[in-house]
Amino acid sequence: MAHHHHVTSADIAINGDHLDKSKVAPIQMAALVIAAIGTVASLYLLFFAPVKLRAPFAYSWLFAFYFFLTLAIGGCFWTLLHNVSNSGWGTSVRRVFENVGSTYPWMFLFGLPLLCPQVQQYLYEWMNIHRSAEGVRSEWLHQHNHLLYNKYWFMNIPFWYGRVIFWGLGLSAVIIGLRRLSTAQDTDPNPGTARLFKARFHSTYTLVIFALTITFTGFDFMMGLDYRWFSTMWGVYLFAGAALNSMAVIVLVTTWLKSMGHLKHVTGPEHYHLMGKLMFAFTVFWAYVTFSQYFLIWYSNQTEETSYFLIRNTGNWNIAMIALMFGHFVIPFVILLQAWLKRNPKWLSLMAIYTLCMHVLDHYLITIPERGVSLGGEHMSGPGFEGFVQKVSIPGAFLGDILAFVTIGSAFVFFVIRALGQHSLYPNRDPRILESANVSN
Amino acid sequence: MSTTRKRVYGYLAQFKNASALYKAAEKVRDAGIKKWDCYSPYPIHGLDGAMGMKRSILPWFVFFGGMTGTATAFTLAYTTQVVIYPTVVQGKPANIFTVPAYFPIMFELTVLFSGFTVLFGLLSLIKLPRLNHPLFASNQFHRATDDGFFIAIEARDPNFSTTATRELLEAAGGANIELVEEED
Repeated sequence: MAHHHHVTSADIAINGDHLDKSKVAPIQMAALVIAAIGTVASLYLLFFAPVKLRAPFAYSWLFAFYFFLTLAIGGCFWTLLHNVSNSGWGTSVRRVFENVGSTYPWMFLFGLPLLCPQVQQYLYEWMNIHRSAEGVRSEWLHQHNHLLYNKYWFMNIPFWYGRVIFWGLGLSAVIIGLRRLSTAQDTDPNPGTARLFKARFHSTYTLVIFALTITFTGFDFMMGLDYRWFSTMWGVYLFAGAALNSMAVIVLVTTWLKSMGHLKHVTGPEHYHLMGKLMFAFTVFWAYVTFSQYFLIWYSNQTEETSYFLIRNTGNWNIAMIALMFGHFVIPFVILLQAWLKRNPKWLSLMAIYTLCMHVLDHYLITIPERGVSLGGEHMSGPGFEGFVQKVSIPGAFLGDILAFVTIGSAFVFFVIRALGQHSLYPNRDPRILESANVSN
Repeated sequence: MSTTRKRVYGYLAQFKNASALYKAAEKVRDAGIKKWDCYSPYPIHGLDGAMGMKRSILPWFVFFGGMTGTATAFTLAYTTQVVIYPTVVQGKPANIFTVPAYFPIMFELTVLFSGFTVLFGLLSLIKLPRLNHPLFASNQFHRATDDGFFIAIEARDPNFSTTATRELLEAAGGANIELVEEED
């Protein structure tokens, strides 16, 4: 496609393109205040409120925590992929990848309540069974619950904590290291190619850490909600949504920065076209994986596996599941097919907002339908649980979902803006910045 | 001297490198020439824009080709599995709600039909395969597959003239300008 102006080194800000912090301070401050108030309210709801509120809110928190964690993990993924594939096109927006990814350690902190038994008791039935065991746990399980006995090597509480700590620390170290390597180049008076090659090398094996993190945070936090259920597509399914929607966030951040006059010469319709193509590709990939999961379970029709879809096809959840199929795949597929739309920042940003709304629906359907059946299940009976018995969904609990979502969402916005303000908005001394600025596809 | 009748195909001009070809293409485009083409040993990013080419109609062919594939697969699966010979597998219904079982076939035929439409649509749009091309009469043209960058302006362009077109190519930096004639 036509180029209007060939970008040369004269167009690159030699000392970087820096965010005017005073300009974004009101939004950043508002996000921080909302996140802080929301966190205090949420901690009350997670630990001190009556069971009637506390139990449903544990699910709200899990939903919001994991939703924003996928966006952060996706930022790490795009950073790693850009480095490891030796890409030239995305250098102009790579800092946005890194900044979105850099929220990972902070987003993971919001998962800390899930490490407390007071919260776990409403979410993870298997932990309750383990904790109620008398004597040697594996022996007891051998006598009382053979399924959990078979899964004991993986599903045991010490190993669970060990894994979760590793997911928190491992990918944090990866993204902090890569971002530091990248930003150090911005001020180097003799910027060479050394960091480029170093980032490429270190992105190879650390990609494994990323893959394990997206897969097994999904296993440990989400699939563990029902210890009887399992799906080998689970990790890939969560990955597809994470990659798609963090790209949507990256598109929105880029548009926002451009609207304030940043990334002026280094990004243009070509970059939007490429990012739009990636969104399109992952829209298709999400559908492919989601259908594969559904199809295998539907076809083989085994009791341990079908529970997931039976729960989500009961009552009004069924309408939401059908809406997800059309809203998350069919509609964006047809819209994103058009090349002109992907090249248009305004239209692609609108599609990014739409995609993120569908991601909310997707993750709501992953987490929340489990709430009614779990809290209404027999193992949860006791004082305070009377209101939950035999409920497909718990009335009024959605207010807690909104609270948790707004709280962690505001924190996500705060940490993204904070990261944007720390360094140049694009790697101004990267050897590939001109290649990226002049990219054509 | 040859006695065969010849017809002028057009002017062929050579350019130093990809960058010179790109800039020359912009000049030819701006001169309002419609029947012309660039020849290069490798694809040049953005040359389609420099030539002022419109977007190909091919994606639309592919879209409808793909849709035809989806519809064909659905019809095939539905007719055989529901209408002609209802097959009950694993207690699944043999009606429209068996549709998840058809998705893999629908997906595959969509891909297959799209692929065929790309291949045959492209071949017919670029009029390939063909046995000969008038430019093969030029002795320098074979370099287009090695290290030569060329622009050819056809005589059937309404703005073609033996003097003005030559001057246009010269002004654009063309060298070895030759009038290529094809055998009638």
